[in-house]
Amino acid sequence: MQEVLPKILAAATLLPLVSFFIILLAGNKLKSHASTVATLAIGAAAVLSFVGMFGYWLGENWGELEKANNAGHHETTAHTDAGNDQGDQHHHGDDDHGHDAKHGHGDDHEHHDDEEADDQHAEGPQHITGNYYLLGKFGRLQLTISYYIDTLTMCMFCMVTLIATLIHIYAIGYMHDEESEYTDHEVTMADGSHLTRPGRYHRFFQFLSLFCFSMLGLVLAGNIAMVFVFWELVGICSYFLIGFYVERKSASTAGNKAFIVNRVGDFGMIIGLMILWTGCGTFAFGDIDVDGDGTISNNTTVVESGLFSQVRPAANHYQLQTPDGLVAHAAQDELQQAALDSQLSSDDEAMHSLLADKITELRNDDPQDISRPRYGYWLLIVAGLGIFCGCVGKSAQFPLHVWLPDAMEGPTPVSALVHSATMVAAGVYLVGRFYPVFPPEVLLVIAIIGCITLFLAATIAITATDIKRVLAYSTISQLGYMMMALGVGGWVAGMMHLITHAFFKSLLFMCSGSVIHAVHTNEMPLMGGLWRKIPYTAFTMLVGCLAIAGASIPFVLGLSGYYSKDAILEQAFSFMQTNTGSFVSVFFWIAAGGAAITAFYMFRLWFMTFAGAPRDEDRYDHAHESKIMYAPLLVLSVFAIAVAWQPIEAFTPIKDLSLSNLLESARPAGTGGDQVALTTPLTWPDEHDSHVSAIKVPVTLLAFATGIVGIFLAAVFYWWKFLDAEETRLSFRPIHRFLLNKWWFDELYDWLFVKPTHVISRFISAVDLKILDGILHAIARGTQLIATCWDRIIDRSIVDGLANQIGRWTHATGVSLRIIQTGQLRQYVMFIVVGTVALFLVISFF
Amino acid sequence: MDNPVILLSAIVFLPALGALLLAFIPGNRTEEIRWFTLVLTLLVLVLCACGLLTQFSLDDGSDQMQQVFNKSWIPSFNIYYFMGIDGISFPLVMLTAFISVLAMGASWSITKHVKGYCILFLLLETGMLGVFMALDFFLFYVFWEVMLLPMYFLIGVWGGPRREYAAIKFFLYTLFGSVLMLVALLILYFQSDLVTLAHQSDLARGNRATLVWEELNIHESVTEQVQQELRKPADGPAAAQIHTFNFQALAAMGQQTTLFSPAWQRTAFLLLLIGFIIKVPSVPFHTWLPDAHVEAPTPISMILAGVLLKMGGYGIIRICYPICPHGAYDLAYLVCALGVVSMVYGAFAALAQTDFKRLVAYSSVSHMGYVMLGLGVWSVAGPTYDSAYWNMGIKGAMFQMIGHGISSAGMFFMVGVIYDRVHHRDLNQFGGLYGRMPVYSALAIGIFFAGLGLPGLCGFIGEVLVVLSVWKYNMILAVISASVVILTAAYILWCIQRVYLGAEYKGPHEESLTPSTTRERLIAGVLLACAILFGVLPYHTVLKYMDPTIDRQVQDLTDWTRTVKDPIDDSATSESPDDQAAVSTQQQSAFEITAVGEADQPLTGGTKGELVDLSPSPAESRP
Repeated sequence: MQEVLPKILAAATLLPLVSFFIILLAGNKLKSHASTVATLAIGAAAVLSFVGMFGYWLGENWGELEKANNAGHHETTAHTDAGNDQGDQHHHGDDDHGHDAKHGHGDDHEHHDDEEADDQHAEGPQHITGNYYLLGKFGRLQLTISYYIDTLTMCMFCMVTLIATLIHIYAIGYMHDEESEYTDHEVTMADGSHLTRPGRYHRFFQFLSLFCFSMLGLVLAGNIAMVFVFWELVGICSYFLIGFYVERKSASTAGNKAFIVNRVGDFGMIIGLMILWTGCGTFAFGDIDVDGDGTISNNTTVVESGLFSQVRPAANHYQLQTPDGLVAHAAQDELQQAALDSQLSSDDEAMHSLLADKITELRNDDPQDISRPRYGYWLLIVAGLGIFCGCVGKSAQFPLHVWLPDAMEGPTPVSALVHSATMVAAGVYLVGRFYPVFPPEVLLVIAIIGCITLFLAATIAITATDIKRVLAYSTISQLGYMMMALGVGGWVAGMMHLITHAFFKSLLFMCSGSVIHAVHTNEMPLMGGLWRKIPYTAFTMLVGCLAIAGASIPFVLGLSGYYSKDAILEQAFSFMQTNTGSFVSVFFWIAAGGAAITAFYMFRLWFMTFAGAPRDEDRYDHAHESKIMYAPLLVLSVFAIAVAWQPIEAFTPIKDLSLSNLLESARPAGTGGDQVALTTPLTWPDEHDSHVSAIKVPVTLLAFATGIVGIFLAAVFYWWKFLDAEETRLSFRPIHRFLLNKWWFDELYDWLFVKPTHVISRFISAVDLKILDGILHAIARGTQLIATCWDRIIDRSIVDGLANQIGRWTHATGVSLRIIQTGQLRQYVMFIVVGTVALFLVISFF
Repeated sequence: MDNPVILLSAIVFLPALGALLLAFIPGNRTEEIRWFTLVLTLLVLVLCACGLLTQFSLDDGSDQMQQVFNKSWIPSFNIYYFMGIDGISFPLVMLTAFISVLAMGASWSITKHVKGYCILFLLLETGMLGVFMALDFFLFYVFWEVMLLPMYFLIGVWGGPRREYAAIKFFLYTLFGSVLMLVALLILYFQSDLVTLAHQSDLARGNRATLVWEELNIHESVTEQVQQELRKPADGPAAAQIHTFNFQALAAMGQQTTLFSPAWQRTAFLLLLIGFIIKVPSVPFHTWLPDAHVEAPTPISMILAGVLLKMGGYGIIRICYPICPHGAYDLAYLVCALGVVSMVYGAFAALAQTDFKRLVAYSSVSHMGYVMLGLGVWSVAGPTYDSAYWNMGIKGAMFQMIGHGISSAGMFFMVGVIYDRVHHRDLNQFGGLYGRMPVYSALAIGIFFAGLGLPGLCGFIGEVLVVLSVWKYNMILAVISASVVILTAAYILWCIQRVYLGAEYKGPHEESLTPSTTRERLIAGVLLACAILFGVLPYHTVLKYMDPTIDRQVQDLTDWTRTVKDPIDDSATSESPDDQAAVSTQQQSAFEITAVGEADQPLTGGTKGELVDLSPSPAESRP
């Protein structure tokens, strides 16, 4: 498996890239076969992913699932009896270990061994990691293209390739118009006609392929720099796909906005990268056996210590510890002083050990000890915030959420694949992947941002009338849920929602695409009653709406959203209970309220689109749906219903195979227990604790109630019409305007950032032309002036005067000598004779 | 081909020879003249690829000059015909030969005085190649000036409407820089002394030396003179000074002797730095660049951006840093600050432009700022002397030079292609080119993304290496430099939107928007392919060749920092650096480099107290 799996996944990643190049170079000849090439490529990638998952990964790691399953159940039973106040002693006693940290770690090993059995999955998930090839090496540092494969990677691969394959199939139908000449009704030319251009069917699939490659590369990445590389690549694919209709100004502007806003996030991410690179000297997630595959060096078996093990060393029982490098970086002066005092200038060995001791001495990871400075800890926080900043951009979290609604300018399959299921979830994925490195303070920020986002986007979704924009805001809101879940310590909850959301949201988007394809508009007020014309779409969309609302028969069975959303709420509730009296209790209440709003706007969407009487007869009459488009919908709705189900005990061989167990077995090392923040008095409770019945029962009932209330309200307004939406809107006019204008974020940013940037740029350009060149021209004129003066005074009067004078003298001499030029031969002969005699006389003297 | 004299001389002077031959071809046979020139540039590229690339050694100990030779030229002034290549110059030589071919390919659009143009073009190529290969400061200076004149005429005769202004501006700026360089050159020359240096080397100290005389590639006759001086009895008349223009010897003097006092080093550094940053160009000496680019014909813009700007960076890394380490160390903040200011300033200025070519020119200012920043981050401090981040910065800067050579040449070419058709460059009067010229637009967008620093393309590697190396040096500079990614994205994307996207073309001469020709596609395609190749495999295509030389230079300067600027060792060494100024003319060095660093051990088997061995020890004895 060690050798084969990286190759399988690399092949799965590269296949779409091959397809990209084939279509790029031969697109004009392939024409409609381009979709076949792209679909085959991603289909093969999906097959490879599933083979990798079930044939290799689970084959070797089946035991992990069982362990994960036991952990979950074990916890539930234990805590049902003991109540949840008692903490969890058998769960790696985190408080103890937190304190151990300050005693240094050399002597901890024995202690650790004793608890080996208990620590079983504190050790972190099974993973394989290694390098593909080298990008550059700088002294002891090296940048590589590498892989990190664990259950999370495998789950993401399966999810991405599966959804992407279905969307490719769907897009064959959706993009059908582009196969020949295409008339773009949204573009009006100068002469008033609509633009007609050759179809770009193959270009669409070309970029879809490039996107799949980038997304899979991002998931496969074994180091954070490589994540950044593919992060940017998915960004550029998103740019191309949003701006697919290049002729539309709105589309290209939306593309620019998406990319530039993402770059703002990337700016933060680069700062995070810088800190980690400088402090830890590596970008790798896991420990890389540099010699392992022979790609890097052949001399020694060096193990490059990865970020995870630097931040959560095994010697510290996988508990958070400020890495040596960051301590050293923050305490430069102290170390310098220590080095100066030691007088060890020429002995490198001794110097290194001296510094290592000093670093251990300076490190302060004890929550109780507030007397000493926490060297490097703030750097770890800033690094975490920086990385999270990138995630904020990519996952469209507040305050960088503004690009995602505009990104709906792209064709709907793109919205389904890129802007709901995969790329925007990459931010959440990265938070999940990078989870061990985030100190609790960063988690708090993540929770706050997630919480704000989920509420803000949900409120805007209530008033939006564009069917895709409702879904876009819903996506932002759901991503906020995931972020918040991760922020309050619910790693499995957040990642599970990522997967379930990917299925039901791509389903919803594709349904909306099917609707748009049927009625040729995005505006819901122009729809209505469509369920009679497009029943498959209506049905599958209902499934999607129920899934996102978390519909269920409580405690028995539910759609996929039920499991993940309840897990999030449970963890938020547990977090609230652990930190009673703190402001953090708002997380739970906002999340619960958000659930009601979600149910409301989703069913508002459904009722406005499919229920009631048609509001635009003409569009209604022409509505139809095609098989190639609803077939993927049916497949996806199966997943949206059942992806999170737990197999029934009767199927013994696979009874442990469920999404939650898979993710549980991928839980990062050391994140299984309670976490204590160093600088705020908050505790992040163990996620397993949130499954105890004291939490599960009330939360499930509450979530059920919020869902029912939301759906009921939507029905009251938009189906049964007991209340008139228009009237309500009028009575809440200011709020409605506020929400309709999306909280005025676009205007605010334009005024705060875009305009000032243009002012500065014009100013700088003017400085160049006026001041710098002005100085230059002044110098030039000055030089010219001096030269002229020089010319007049020195040259003309003195130099020229002198020359003229000499000339005049010469002339005068010449004139006077003319007298002896008589032309008489005798006289000349006499001159010669006299001259010769004189010469000889002169010579004879020497 | 095995003889470096013939190989390097052939590469450098083949174009000049061709120019001479061209002078005898009648001027009206334009097509033949073009093809002849193109074939000649291709021949140079083939020579570089076959002669240099295949023989470029990457083994251990390949941190030395390769293909090196040293022939007598004007021995009475110690001026030698001394050339060679190493990891710093070799990639730039390849780049020059490569860009020259493409620029000549782009020269078919030149129709005025083709013969004169080709002659000047070839002379320019000789100058450029010579600059990168010369190892004698005087020779370097000569090539530097040789390159200047053809450039002046190429802009001034074949340029746009304001060509005279632009050409004069370019010429005066560069001349100003070279005068400063000349002053620094003379300062260094008259303070240099090979005899003093020889006292540090194995020539005088045998195995205890830190310097291998042979590695300096001093001409044999000079070595003999030096040995004669060394044989003079210590109580006899003082040995005569032997000056030199040898880069390697000057660098060794700068680092290992006190011949150049810190104050003089700072002066020389500053003079050289101004000379070179005019060429880079860095704010505030950059205003010649937009004008020169706007007026220059397309192929000359390609050369200008692709090669000429790199000479500034090359000069800094080849001359400023090794020869004047005191200046470089003390003024490192200045270099970094200039880099960061250029990055930000160029990006903002680019955002405001409405002239397509000016935008690309300002993007060059911004991108070359990365080079300055990467070279400057002398973050070798702290108790462990960790030079890895500076190493990374320099490699990033070098890569950025190569990457920018590809991307900016491509960008200027793309502007040229459209200018040849519609004869304007107003960004607000384009639009919709994607519909009219799809292949050209796709290639252009690809190349512009290389300029934007998109991963997978060449611009990214250089930028990211530089930016990542800065935090260790200074956090504030690091944050500012990281923020430039936003501005870069903004101006490039906005530019793409205005030119290539949109529904219809808004400017004049719509009828002449014909699809790109095969020649244009070929040139752009080759550039884009290179951009992708360098972006995906940076190590195997570029960094691999630079590594040994840069590693060594960084290690040398790290050791120098440790010995001279080191607060820990200060307590052990009696003199502080400034005290050493007074003894700069002494024959014996005031301090010795102690054996430091694992990577740069002194000669093997060097048991202390061995007799002084006057014969040069063979270089093979190094580990």
